[in-house]
Amino acid sequence: MAELQKDPITRGDFLGFGILGAISGAILTIPPVAFVLSPVIKTNVLGQTDIDQGWQRVATIKDLKELKPGTPDVFEVEFPIEQVYSDKEIQEKFPDSQKSQSDFTVRHAVWISWKAPVKQQGTQGSGGDILGEPEKPAIVDQKSSGFTQSERDEIRGQLNILSNSCAHLGCPVRWFPDKHEFLCPCHGGLYDINGGYVGGPPPRGMYNYTQAEVREDGTLYIKHGYDIEPGLNKQQPYVV
Amino acid sequence: MIGRMRSQTEEASKFIVDWMEHRTGIVTQLEHFLYEPVPKRGAWVYTLGSAVLGLIVVQFLTGILLLFYYVPSTDHAWNSVNYIMNEAYFGQLVRGIHYWSANFLLAMIGLHMAQVFFAGGYKAPRELNWVVGVVLLLLVIGLAFTGYLLRWDQDGFWASVVGMKIGSYSPFVGGYVINFLLGGDVAGPATLSRFFALHVWLLPAAIAPFIGIHLYLLRRHGVFGSEFEYSERLAKLHERQRLEEYAGYELDDDDEDEAERNGRSNGRGE
Amino acid sequence: MVYVPAAGKSKPVEEEVITEENVYDRPDETMGFFPGQVLKDTYVFTFLIIACAVLSYAAPAPLTAPADTATVEYVPRPEWFFFFYEQMLMFFPGYALVSFGAVVVPTIFIVLLFAVPWLDRSPQHYSAISRPFATVIGILVVVIVVLNMLMAVSRIMNFPTA
Repeated sequence: MAELQKDPITRGDFLGFGILGAISGAILTIPPVAFVLSPVIKTNVLGQTDIDQGWQRVATIKDLKELKPGTPDVFEVEFPIEQVYSDKEIQEKFPDSQKSQSDFTVRHAVWISWKAPVKQQGTQGSGGDILGEPEKPAIVDQKSSGFTQSERDEIRGQLNILSNSCAHLGCPVRWFPDKHEFLCPCHGGLYDINGGYVGGPPPRGMYNYTQAEVREDGTLYIKHGYDIEPGLNKQQPYVV
Repeated sequence: MIGRMRSQTEEASKFIVDWMEHRTGIVTQLEHFLYEPVPKRGAWVYTLGSAVLGLIVVQFLTGILLLFYYVPSTDHAWNSVNYIMNEAYFGQLVRGIHYWSANFLLAMIGLHMAQVFFAGGYKAPRELNWVVGVVLLLLVIGLAFTGYLLRWDQDGFWASVVGMKIGSYSPFVGGYVINFLLGGDVAGPATLSRFFALHVWLLPAAIAPFIGIHLYLLRRHGVFGSEFEYSERLAKLHERQRLEEYAGYELDDDDEDEAERNGRSNGRGE
Repeated sequence: MVYVPAAGKSKPVEEEVITEENVYDRPDETMGFFPGQVLKDTYVFTFLIIACAVLSYAAPAPLTAPADTATVEYVPRPEWFFFFYEQMLMFFPGYALVSFGAVVVPTIFIVLLFAVPWLDRSPQHYSAISRPFATVIGILVVVIVVLNMLMAVSRIMNFPTA
């Protein structure tokens, strides 16, 4: 082996290393990081969402008529999403191509039930709210279409529209008819019929769909969006 | 005739070995690698580490094979895994080995870590090797987590949902973590692409150099098992120390005692 | 380090004086890495690969129904090596504690794991018996992991079916 040759580093060399290193380093780090983090930038910084913000139909008046008080029923809603596949652009640019004829959707299970009046607000460790009997607005059974604005608001006000995603770790919750509670199968989170917290590890009650409306023909529509406290937004676990 | 052939073959192989040695030095390297003295006692205990290495190599091989058929898209991921399981020749075996060796890998890593911990194998000068080992553990856990979603079946999907939601509880950065993992704000195509990139490219690429460092450091400092490997030498040492101690007592019977007493009283006086 | 060719010289001079410094330099008995250790490694590896091959037909790698985000029937279960972690999450309810149990505690544990060589620096105490504190902590960790695993298994087995 030859002896090691340790030439001195001149100021010019040092400067050269600095400038060249900075250029290559910047090219090789900043764009890749932004590339990988772009979903974070889009959703957390710019506040965009992948989920279509339009109204989606949940249940018809017939479904609502059949919805018994005290028994939640599950409905499937498909929210179109725009993520990676860019179906929309392809359909606009190349309408005749066989690519992406259908929108990609994410299917949500939505628990719908008639609200039970809260007789007494639950306190910490009390095992949830004390509830009365769930009531079904009489108007639902009387009419089949042509609901007025006040009737529509009344129906909407009496409906629980809950996500099936457990507030603890997002497992799909299910209804236990004999216990009259929602149970999360993962870690045993319990919720009452209104989605209020009853017991177990979840930090809060079930997620409500906040934007919902009943139309003239009695059909229920919702938009994607939950009752997530804005103050906790950054730490609030999102519903997957 | 046979004798001549034998000598010719010998010459030819000697020529090849010499040629390679001159160009690459590989023969000496191999000798160093193969004939290093290792502890004879406890050899079975040290197979845990090699088992981990072997299983990771198997993971790499079967993983590459699975990529010949796997399609990382939400529309076809499940279908392609189904195809591997039912249509591809030995698909069930290749995927089965990938799956089961992953399970064995986790178990072996647990045993390997426990063995090193209880044997004190992390002590100086082997601290860095322990640190590299913990990095490897985390990378393997990352691989196990990301691989589960790729099947896009109920098990994998929901376990990943739970895992991502756990990430969302990280203090201060929870929202960023989950959106990074999801590739947006909903579990969809981007999530699968991300997990695919992590599982197939990023984490294996990260794990390979760390395995290299782990092995290099192992060879540099040797395996250290437990004191049982050194019991004879330790016994000899203790015997020698004991003898020296006795010899000391016998030699300075009176004088030393006197001196010690004086020393003590002096010390007290001050 | 000086390389000592192994062949025939694995046992150096018998008259070596063993001191505190050199006692751990070399084990009592050594053998060449090849073939002794390599053969044992091969035994274990062969056993594992046969086990994998047999299991891949006896208990094929699972593939459940395609992912369905709208299910209310499916019960998510983690893989067995995450059981203890999953079980641990049950003990941390509420906003403050979920993040504590799910992220902070594991992170602290991993940091401690990294720091093990610097937490236990007692020199020349390799044997598990001569450093009881580290050993007890290690056994405690193992016991907690195993107990949590068993609890998770029992919870999964006793889950009420609707």
